[in-house]
Amino acid sequence: MSEVIWVDTTSTSFDNTVQHKLRRLIDASGAAAELSEGMRVALKINTAEEGYDYGLRPEFIRVVADAVTTATRTRPVVCDGLKLIDYWKKAWGNNFMKLASSQGLTTETLGGHFVINGGFSGDEGDSFACNLPDSELGGVEVGTAVCRSDALWVLSHVTLHPLVGLNGALLNGGFDCLIGRARTRLLKSIDPYIFNGQKPPEADLQIFQRRALESHLGVKAAVENKIFFINYLWDVTPQPEFYPFSANPLVANQGFLASRDPVAIDSATLDIIQSEGHFQVQAVTGVDFTAMLKEAGKIGAGETAYTLKRLS
Amino acid sequence: MAEHKYEPTKWHGMKGPVIGGRDTYQAKSWNPTKKKWGTFTEKGPAPVWFAEANATNWTESMICKTKDLFYEAKLNQCFEKGDEVAIKIHYGEWNRTAILRPEYIAAIVEEVRACGGNPYVVNDTTLSYHTYNSMAISQYQMEGAIRHGYTDATFGCPVLIADGYSGEDDYRVDIPEGLILKETYIGRAIAEADAMIVLAHSRGHSITMYGGVLKQLGIGCQSKRGKYITHLAHWGDPHDAIGWPKFTDKCPGKACKFHKMCDDSCPRQAHHVAEHGKVWYPERCRLCYSCQVTCLFSGMTGIGFEENYFPNAMIAHADAALGALKCFDRGKVGFINCAIDIVPECDCFPWAGLAIAPDVGIFASKDLIALEEATLDAIDNAPVSPGSVAAEKGCKPGDDRFRIVNGFSPRITMAAGEKIGLGTRKYKLNNYEPPLTPENIAKWQVRKGGVVNHRPTTVRLRDVFQKHDLATEVMPFGRTAYEKEWAFNEWKKYDPFKGAKP
Repeated sequence: MSEVIWVDTTSTSFDNTVQHKLRRLIDASGAAAELSEGMRVALKINTAEEGYDYGLRPEFIRVVADAVTTATRTRPVVCDGLKLIDYWKKAWGNNFMKLASSQGLTTETLGGHFVINGGFSGDEGDSFACNLPDSELGGVEVGTAVCRSDALWVLSHVTLHPLVGLNGALLNGGFDCLIGRARTRLLKSIDPYIFNGQKPPEADLQIFQRRALESHLGVKAAVENKIFFINYLWDVTPQPEFYPFSANPLVANQGFLASRDPVAIDSATLDIIQSEGHFQVQAVTGVDFTAMLKEAGKIGAGETAYTLKRLS
Repeated sequence: MAEHKYEPTKWHGMKGPVIGGRDTYQAKSWNPTKKKWGTFTEKGPAPVWFAEANATNWTESMICKTKDLFYEAKLNQCFEKGDEVAIKIHYGEWNRTAILRPEYIAAIVEEVRACGGNPYVVNDTTLSYHTYNSMAISQYQMEGAIRHGYTDATFGCPVLIADGYSGEDDYRVDIPEGLILKETYIGRAIAEADAMIVLAHSRGHSITMYGGVLKQLGIGCQSKRGKYITHLAHWGDPHDAIGWPKFTDKCPGKACKFHKMCDDSCPRQAHHVAEHGKVWYPERCRLCYSCQVTCLFSGMTGIGFEENYFPNAMIAHADAALGALKCFDRGKVGFINCAIDIVPECDCFPWAGLAIAPDVGIFASKDLIALEEATLDAIDNAPVSPGSVAAEKGCKPGDDRFRIVNGFSPRITMAAGEKIGLGTRKYKLNNYEPPLTPENIAKWQVRKGGVVNHRPTTVRLRDVFQKHDLATEVMPFGRTAYEKEWAFNEWKKYDPFKGAKP
C-alpha cells in the first residue's frame, strides 16, 4: 500500500496559509530531503490554453520551486510541452511562451527556469523503452527538459479529462512529458479536443489509455525512477487545461496531495473529489478512470490501494 | 514542407536510450531550404544606410536613428503582417560588459510589431568555449541574458533559445555552394521563422577576426551541431591539426598553475595533464575550443591552433551563414550592424577589452556582405582609441584594424561570402541625418502603445496639474534670507575661469 499525504484547506491562518500548507506537504513527504546539491530537477506543470481561465496560480508552483532550490542550491527547470493543435497559432514555441507569460508563468514568477519541454519545435527529446514485456508502444520519446534532468517532480492541476477521465499524476507524468511528435503518434486517429461533440470510438479510447500508461513507464525510465508527484485539487474543472475554455469547477478546492506513487495519488484524488463534490467522474466524462487505474496497477506503474495521511 | 519518410523505430530491440545517430537524424529532419532564396543584390553596388554615433538633440538619439534606418533600408518590407519574425541577437557571456544595450533590441522589436510582425528574440546555445562558459547550457545562457537586461519585460516579446533546451532542436541544411562546408545545422526557432532581422554588435573576434551580421548567421544561427561543423571539427587528421587543437611541447604539465582548470576544460575528457605536457585522446575530441581558449587566455602556450586554421574557419563560417540564409525566401532577412563599443573580442567572452575605436554608428542593409564591408571600412577609418590593443600594436586610421588586432583580415570572410552568393562587396553608402522638425522630434518620443498616451508629456501634465498642482500648493517657496554672496560671486572661486564663458 502506498502512502499519500493530503493537506486540506481547513484551519487557515496567517501562519497556515495555502502556501504554508503546500510547503508543509513537501516537508512531510520527505521528497526534498532526497535531493542533493547540484541536482537538476524538472518540475512538469500544466500550462493553460488561451481561453482556459482556471490555470494553476504561479505562486503554487513557486512554493515547490523554492523548496527544490533550497534542497539543490540550483534553480529547477519548470516545463511543459507545446500544445498539439494550433487553435490560435499558439503552438509555435514563441507564441507558447508569450501566452504562458500573459498568464503569469515566467522564469521570474515561477522561481525556476521556464522552458518548453522539447525546445522551440517541441520535438527535441530522447527515446526510452517502456520496459514492459507485452508493451504496445515499446518505447516513447521523452522531451529534453524532462529526460536530461536528474529528478522529475510532476505538478498536476487536477481536472477532468475527455480521454482518460482525470488529469493527474499518471497523465501529466507520462503522456504529457513526451515530445509533440510522440504524443501525436500515441493519439493516432483520436482528436483530443472533443468539445465538438465527437467522441472517439471506445476501442480507440482504450488503446490510447493503455499507451498513455505505458508512456509513464518510459518517463520513469528516463529519470531512473527519481520521480515525485503533487496533485493540486484546486479549480477542478470539467475541462483540462489544454481546452480553450472551461465551465465552472465541479468541487470546492480540496488542497494538495503528494506521493511517490502516481496510481495511489490519482486513486486518492478520484476518491476525494467524488466524495466531496458529490458527482461521479465517469458520469461527467463518460470515461471509467478506475479501469485505467487498475490497468496502471497491472503494468506496475503503482498501487491502487493507498493509505491517506491528512494534514490541515 | 517536403514529405519525409522514416523507418519505424525498433523499440523492442532497444537496450537503452537512443541518442540519435546520423542516419536517424537525417531521416527525421528535412531540408528547409526555401525555393525562393537568393542573393539580395543582383547587380551593382548594394545600398547601405549609415547613421553616425553621437547625438545633440531628440532626433539624433542612437535609438531613434536605429529606428529610422530600419525604415530607410526598407527592413520593414522583409516581412508581411502576421509573419513570425525572429530577431537574432547575441545574448552575451556572463560577466561580459561590452554587449548591445537592450534598448536597441527593444527599438527593433517595437517597430516589427508596429508593422504587423510577430517578433521574438533568439540566440542559439554555444559550445563549451572555455571552462566557465555559461552559454553552452540553455538555462545558464538565459540567466546571463536576464542579467544583461534581455528579458520578455524589457523587449516586450518572448526571449528564446533557438536550438532548444539542449541545443539539439535544429534542422540540417544542405549547402552545396559552400567552399568548405557542404551542410550545416540551424536552430529551429530561426529555421521556422517567416522572416528575420539580424541585429549585430560589430566588434572583433578571436577566431574570425571580426564579428558582425555575418558572424550572427555563420555561428549565431548554428545549433550545437552546426557550430561543431563550422569549427571544422575533425577536418583533416590530428597530424595536420586544421580541425583539431594543436598540442605543443611547451605545456609545462603539472608545473602549470592552471593544469587543473585545463583538465576541467574538456566536456569530453579528451585530454589530461601528465607530469610534463598533456595526454590527448583525439577520438574523444570534437573541437569546441574549450582547451585552446582556456590555455591561451591564461597566458600559456601548450594548446593552440594550427596557423591556417583561422582563414579556414573564416571561410567555413561564411558557408554556414549561407545555410542560415537559405532558410528564408529572398529579401526576408534584414541586417543591422551597431558599431558601438568596438572591442577586440566576441560577446561570448566573459570580459571586454578597451574599445579599439570610438563608437562609429549604425548601419543597415538587406545585403549582408555590403553591410559588413561598409562597417569594416568605417571602423578602419575611425580614430584609434588610446590605450587599446590597436594603439599598442601601432595601428593607424586607414589600416585593416581587425587584421592588426586579431591576426587576419576579415576581408577573407567577405570575399568568400561574395563568392558563394551571400551578397556583394560593392556598396553605396547613404549617410542618414535625421531632419530636425517638430514632427520628427515627436515621431520616436511618443510611445505608441506604451505606458503613456499619444500626447506630449507636458500636455498630459496639464491634466494632472489641473487636478492637483503640487508646486503651487506649497508656494511661495521659502528663500527670504538666501546666501546672495554664494549665488553671485563665491562659486566663481571654484571655477578656474572665474565664471567666464569658455
